[in-house]
Amino acid sequence: MLEADLLEADMEREADNVVHEAKPADSSGMTERRRTFLERWPSALMGFGLVAGYGMFASFIGQFLFPSRKKQHASQYVADLQSFAHGQSMTYVSPAGERVVVTRVAETGAVEDFIALSSVCPHLGCQVHWESQNNRFFCPCHNGAFDPEGNPIAGPPQEANQALPRYQLHVENGLLFIDASTERLVKLA
Amino acid sequence: MSRIADWFQERLPVSGVQLAELTNEPVPNHLRRWWWCLGGTPAYLFVVQIVTGILLAFYYQAAPETAYQSVQRITEEISFGWYLRSVHKWAATLMIAAIILHQMRVYFTAAYRKPREINWMVGMCLLLTTLVIGFTGYSLVFEQLSYWGATVAANICDTVPYVGVYAKQLLLAGETYNENTVSRFYILHAAVLPATLIMLLVIHIGILRLQGVTELHFEDEPEDGPQHFDFFPDHLYTEVIAGLVLMILLSVLATLFPATMGPQADPLTTPEIIKPEWFFYATFRWLKLFSGTVAVLSMGFIVFIMFVWPFIDAWLVRVTRNEDVSFWIGIVGVFLLVGLTTWEALVAH
Repeated sequence: MLEADLLEADMEREADNVVHEAKPADSSGMTERRRTFLERWPSALMGFGLVAGYGMFASFIGQFLFPSRKKQHASQYVADLQSFAHGQSMTYVSPAGERVVVTRVAETGAVEDFIALSSVCPHLGCQVHWESQNNRFFCPCHNGAFDPEGNPIAGPPQEANQALPRYQLHVENGLLFIDASTERLVKLA
Repeated sequence: MSRIADWFQERLPVSGVQLAELTNEPVPNHLRRWWWCLGGTPAYLFVVQIVTGILLAFYYQAAPETAYQSVQRITEEISFGWYLRSVHKWAATLMIAAIILHQMRVYFTAAYRKPREINWMVGMCLLLTTLVIGFTGYSLVFEQLSYWGATVAANICDTVPYVGVYAKQLLLAGETYNENTVSRFYILHAAVLPATLIMLLVIHIGILRLQGVTELHFEDEPEDGPQHFDFFPDHLYTEVIAGLVLMILLSVLATLFPATMGPQADPLTTPEIIKPEWFFYATFRWLKLFSGTVAVLSMGFIVFIMFVWPFIDAWLVRVTRNEDVSFWIGIVGVFLLVGLTTWEALVAH
């Protein structure tokens, strides 16, 4: 496609040259209007060819540099409701290695009983950790802090009102499932 | 001997005399002062970076599985690997320090004023390019701090409205740090950005040669003496001496404080104490003081103000009828920069 465009541009350039060479032949009766028309169109076509050709090349580069890859998600088993008491919390580790803190905050038996907090700080993506002595999640990067339900209580997340992200949960036949990523992004040796 | 010279002269018709005249521009006397070597210093250090960088590239492997191990191999096994890596690291440190000092010198002597506004902006581009080279290079080691530094930096891009998300994807090759990220940092660090830097440097020095160096006169200089000296060989000798002193300094620093390695990157644990490289301490502290978007946009605004300062300065001088307004604003700026950097250096969080 690109080569074809360039070839086209080449041919137009040749055509352009022919027109210029034909210039001395003015006296043979070519009108002023017709000459401008003939001079402009090849340039316009050549410009179009160049923009189309290199534009397509640029768009290929753009797509090459922005790989479109969807994260693979799957529904995964976390726990059964019977053994997960009100007030209890557990750390679930997804196949991708993401740490998710799942807490039961009510006892209705519905999915609303549970909150699943991501450990990725909503400020700039560092991993938060639980500080039991302060009863909070703490992000060491920029001193962000969150209460046990993931609401921001200090640092930049509080100023921007960014809570810890929550994972989608659902309950099926008395079992709790989570929607989490399945692929490990950075493989280490 | 002259036959050889003639042979070349016939094939390369370049006159040595003309070449000498062309390059031998008169240099103002104040350049004899050492403070005026600060522009040449980063250029010299950049050459050191190219040489040591090419050598390190012989062994470095840009992939998450191998990056850390290959740096470890360079540091611990390859002959003089520790030395070259340490020189590369220290030359980067000194290069950034020298650029900052050079910029301060230009600022406080108001050398950016008309007609040198464009070269000030080219200089700003050089500063930013150097900082990004420093950042991408640091990320290549793939240790804990450099991994989390890169994650934070990519998410900083993300907080910029509209375009930020694309900048982040361009930097990381995806939504998050992934298996293609290190090779992307590598190609930016070792090819794209150095080539950009060379082009900017050619423009920077080209404009400098076109306009000539800003003329400054000091009170202790005789009024009636010669006001200029020759670039060649006088000024070149000064630069050669500066280069030798830098080489000794680099070797001493590399030997006494060699580049070390922290623990390998772990995408699942952010270390308890996290710091970027020293030249980002001020921005890092800034990020802790405000919410993400406010901090990032205000930093962008400050960089923009620095870019267009020659025009703001001209406006300030016109409005206040005081030549020294920029000087005092600069003093405040330097105190702020040093203050934020020291604050970040002294505390854990």
